[in-house]
Amino acid sequence: MTKFRHLIWMLVATGGLFLSASQGNAQTRQPDVGDQPGLIADDSVELDPQWRKTAVLYRTNEAPGTIIVVTAERHLYLVQGNGRALRYGIGVGREGFTWQGLVNITQKKEWPDWTPPPEMIQRQPYLPRFMAGGPGNPLGARAMYLGTTVYRIHGTNRPDTIGTAVSSGCFRLVNADVADLYERVPVGTKVIIRQKPEL
Amino acid sequence: MLRTFRGGLLIGLAVAIAVAAGAITYERYDTKTLKRTLKRGEVLCGVNKGLPGFSIPDDKGDWTGFDVDFCRAVAAAIFDDPKKTKFVPLDANERFKELQSRKVDILSRNSTWSMSREVNYDLYFPAVAYYDGEGFMLPASRKIDSALDLNDSKVCVQEGTTTLLNVADYFRANNMKYTEMKFPKLEDVVKAYNEGKCDTLTADVSQLYALRLNLSKPNDHTILPDVISKEPLAPVVRQRDDDWMMIVKWTLYAMINAEELGITSKNIDEALKSKKPDVMRLVGTEGAYGEDLGLTKDWAARIIRHVGNYGEIYDRNVGAESKLKIPRGLNSLWSNGGIQYAPPIR
Repeated sequence: MTKFRHLIWMLVATGGLFLSASQGNAQTRQPDVGDQPGLIADDSVELDPQWRKTAVLYRTNEAPGTIIVVTAERHLYLVQGNGRALRYGIGVGREGFTWQGLVNITQKKEWPDWTPPPEMIQRQPYLPRFMAGGPGNPLGARAMYLGTTVYRIHGTNRPDTIGTAVSSGCFRLVNADVADLYERVPVGTKVIIRQKPEL
Repeated sequence: MLRTFRGGLLIGLAVAIAVAAGAITYERYDTKTLKRTLKRGEVLCGVNKGLPGFSIPDDKGDWTGFDVDFCRAVAAAIFDDPKKTKFVPLDANERFKELQSRKVDILSRNSTWSMSREVNYDLYFPAVAYYDGEGFMLPASRKIDSALDLNDSKVCVQEGTTTLLNVADYFRANNMKYTEMKFPKLEDVVKAYNEGKCDTLTADVSQLYALRLNLSKPNDHTILPDVISKEPLAPVVRQRDDDWMMIVKWTLYAMINAEELGITSKNIDEALKSKKPDVMRLVGTEGAYGEDLGLTKDWAARIIRHVGNYGEIYDRNVGAESKLKIPRGLNSLWSNGGIQYAPPIR
């Protein structure tokens, strides 16, 4: 009887292993999944005009230097004052991984290392536990930490995901853009994250 | 005897004047547009003969564009069918006359709302559908991103237009110098710019994006975000037919409010189940706002389902999903960097 019970557990465990492995495979193969550790960014990818860095008209009461992330339209605005802003195309959190509020940039890092948070590992067990910074790192060339959250504004090794909603809540820019933004904003910068209204 | 005769004459004259006055009032003021539209079964809509992004027929005679979609929205509100529209192409100089003589129910034809047009022509512009204005195009290689950096520029501009005057005002107001390179025809302005004879070309922003498409290398040119003049484009109706004017006005406001509330043609069924009061009032699950307009409770839901919210119409025709790719700019919602603002439905 005990033997039999063991056998059942073993079966369940093997089944589970298979399941997670196949899921992992399926997800890395799916073109719309944003995390692909190890892939070297193809920086020659030409973004659609709506995702390219552009100076735009933008009226706001927020002070110049403030970042406004408008997730519904996949744009990040850096307020310039005088009714204008620099607009960058971004990738945002997928359904269920959206959030909004007011935070500050608490830390800035070049070519950041990546330690996926435990909850992310739980969801995507195939992810590495740690990955050193560099061109194959999904965080890309720069990262700006948002408050005390696990979320960042960061680069990417998947420029093709700009304009989509695939992340776990972070905001990603192409490496050239994130480096440009990084030079323009100090630690302490106010970041406003806006979601589309709920029905 | 003479007195009674004179009295009779007077009364007769008074009656004649009253009848004539009645006839004149009837001639001048039409208050039955909705009634006639319902009877006819379609909305007659005056449009531009061919302006990419705003109104243009394809080879089968199907019209598309921002102005066209606005008329479809009115038809959707009234008939629950956006196809119950007939598009009447009109020239710039005949458009207001044709509206006055009741050849069309609405003019939705990139017309700038100005005081003299409204007052002198007995017309009414219910609300601004599209904020246009004069802007500048220049080679991207110049790395300029503000019109204030255009000092000492050679400016290509069309002769005999308000564009010319606006440039003069703008440069003078900002203490900048410029050299005018004017041409009678717009195509010559573009040609001169393309040949590098001037540093920048000025025209209305919506026009600049259309002109850029036809340059040899469109991506090598940028259009500055600055807008230096006011060209509010609006639908037009006849004065004194308030019921009709209200329908046209609130059709636009319903689309803007829908965008603000996050209601789209894709999630309208979900919105109809919403318990949020402002969503419920717009889609008609609370109150009877549409009935007050002479329509049905679900008038706005019809518009959103068949045509979409303001942002959808913008993106599809002139914005990111169109060939023109005009950034929302001033036409963003007031809550997102622009000035599009609709009064609430309540």
